[in-house]
Amino acid sequence: MSDREKIESALEQFFADERLSRRRFLGRGASLGLMAGGLATAISACGSIEGVTKRRLGALQQAAAGVNHPKVPIGTWEFSNWPLYIDKKVLKTFNQRYGGTVKYVEDINDNYEFFGKVRQQLQDGAPIGRDIVVLTDYMASRWVSSGYTMPIDRKNVPNGKNLTATLRSPGWDPKRQYSLPWQTYATGLAYNVKLTGRELRSIREFFNPEWKGRVTVLSDWHDSAGLAMLMRGIDPTTATVDRYLEAIDYVGQQNSKGQFRRFTGNDYTTDLTKGNVAIAMAYSGDVVQLQSDNPNLRFVFPEEGAMLAIDNMMIPEKAAHPYAAEVMMNFVYEPEIAARICDYVNYISPVDGVREILLRTDPGVGRNQLIFPDKATLERCHGYPALSSGDELLCNQAMAKVTGA
Amino acid sequence: MSAISLRWRRSLLPWWFMAPALIWLIVFFAVPLFNQLNVSLMSGNADAGYHSTWAFHTYWDAIRTYHVQFLRSLEYAAIATVIDLIIAFPLAYFLAFRAGRWRNFLLLLVIMPFFVSYVLRTVAWQLILNDNGWVADRLRDIGLVSQHGRLLATSTAVITGIAYNFLPFMVLPLYVSLERMDRRLLEAATDLYASRVTAFRKVTVPLAIPGIFAGSLLCFIPACGDYVNAALLGTSRQYMIGNVVQSKYLDVLDYPTAAALSFILMLLILVGIALYGRVLGSRNLMEAAA
Repeated sequence: MSDREKIESALEQFFADERLSRRRFLGRGASLGLMAGGLATAISACGSIEGVTKRRLGALQQAAAGVNHPKVPIGTWEFSNWPLYIDKKVLKTFNQRYGGTVKYVEDINDNYEFFGKVRQQLQDGAPIGRDIVVLTDYMASRWVSSGYTMPIDRKNVPNGKNLTATLRSPGWDPKRQYSLPWQTYATGLAYNVKLTGRELRSIREFFNPEWKGRVTVLSDWHDSAGLAMLMRGIDPTTATVDRYLEAIDYVGQQNSKGQFRRFTGNDYTTDLTKGNVAIAMAYSGDVVQLQSDNPNLRFVFPEEGAMLAIDNMMIPEKAAHPYAAEVMMNFVYEPEIAARICDYVNYISPVDGVREILLRTDPGVGRNQLIFPDKATLERCHGYPALSSGDELLCNQAMAKVTGA
Repeated sequence: MSAISLRWRRSLLPWWFMAPALIWLIVFFAVPLFNQLNVSLMSGNADAGYHSTWAFHTYWDAIRTYHVQFLRSLEYAAIATVIDLIIAFPLAYFLAFRAGRWRNFLLLLVIMPFFVSYVLRTVAWQLILNDNGWVADRLRDIGLVSQHGRLLATSTAVITGIAYNFLPFMVLPLYVSLERMDRRLLEAATDLYASRVTAFRKVTVPLAIPGIFAGSLLCFIPACGDYVNAALLGTSRQYMIGNVVQSKYLDVLDYPTAAALSFILMLLILVGIALYGRVLGSRNLMEAAA
């Protein structure tokens, strides 16, 4: 048999086996071919997920200089914030005084998670439906440099002058043209003195085998790696990404020894109040609130230092009610209103003059060292680093490995 | 002419009936699935964007890095499904044969948890299993938990949570298949000198197989992808593949890996179901269900 005959007989065999007529075979082959071709074109047409074009600070500042948001009726507008971060009666006062209705939504639980949810719209230049969002430094700077925020017309926010001096000029928004602090808070050491049996002062306690399995640390590496660096005498504000990766690695080693019970977000509060853990890496304001439920809880700014973070109000790009947002910003920078918010949330207020008011109206809060830390304590506090978004991503990935996800 | 158009219309009729479901499937299942398949083959990063590069290695990398979480998901889901089966069978049996006039009320109790949000129910378990709670104390008393041991933040807690949350999905199909059973078959079995145990083994259980099959799928599949229980009741050492996917999508913004992980999980589950169906005998299942 020649080769050609062999092939032909093999083909015949094939069609006999498959019980396909030649025509049906060709038909099926053609439709398969069409489908494959269709798939390929569809896949290539599906394109890609766009990246971010960073904007230079100078360009951003120039764009902000010309901003003008004319006075319009307030209307119905939306304010996204973290849970339990305002006295709701303040919103009522706002509506009564300025008209309109503020839809206040507590839907920000985690900076990255919130960004993950709205990223696509921001990327496509579509509105995200909110007129104010409140995000922590590192995320705020990312939004501003990516052009996801609208400049604030500071002419509409005259009370902005009450912003405390130390917060007026962050590197990523030196003239506060895109952001205004909502509250600031310290990350430090919280403990249940009944369970520890003694007072604690040092960051070393997080890693002390004495408390093995009874410690929670924050899953946000800015806090956990930041504190680990402070313990070793490294300044987390100016540290390089390599230092951060080392610190994350150290946290990971401790975790694999079973030192930590859990990595947490804000949810460490349950474990801490229920006595499931003796020590928690915690936010100052939370602990002030928790102390009223459990008087055994303590918060300290550790002797090596604490992390100090700022949550910033910003107007997302394409927001429909920038004027309403600015009126609200102006409103919460009135010392009386800021005092009411501070009295409720117990975080460190960025507004000057609040302490004087609270010393009069609620002296317990006015004298509280966690809400109004003295100068010596504030000097021990360190801000978050200004890493590039690529470096931030590296740290996110490293920390995700440590927390097991 | 009119005859042809009538035939046309007749042959189109079933498609009209199927159209809503088909459109639904295409828009909300096929298109997103296809889109995710495309995403899983992209490469890049969140800053520079992701572009189609047929990056099949993402799948391999994902398996290599996260096989522990994959195995853990399958393990936890399987254990929880078996626990559910053990709890649900007597319960469904009682509901179908012995509950009498209480039946509807008891069925209502079975689905009652659905009136409360899934996350809230899981948070409630945080309080139940809490270190200083009643449950942990009693278990310490009888020595099941060591003096300094804990319940919360362990795999026991995560599996308990999953088993609790998916129990109704096991009870209801089992109940339906038992309730439809022809009681005369049991009488016939006893007439033929089968003991009650033999009658149960040879008649009741085989007839309940479609219920067991449906129930275990309804438990196992969503349990594999669950991340709420591991996040709330476990620690990073209990994280399941769902936690990884969530973190990849929302925290790290690594969409290709997240999509690849989802596809691998889907594939694992499909293969698992195929094997399971083979073991129980798919023909029997179809006939019994018919």
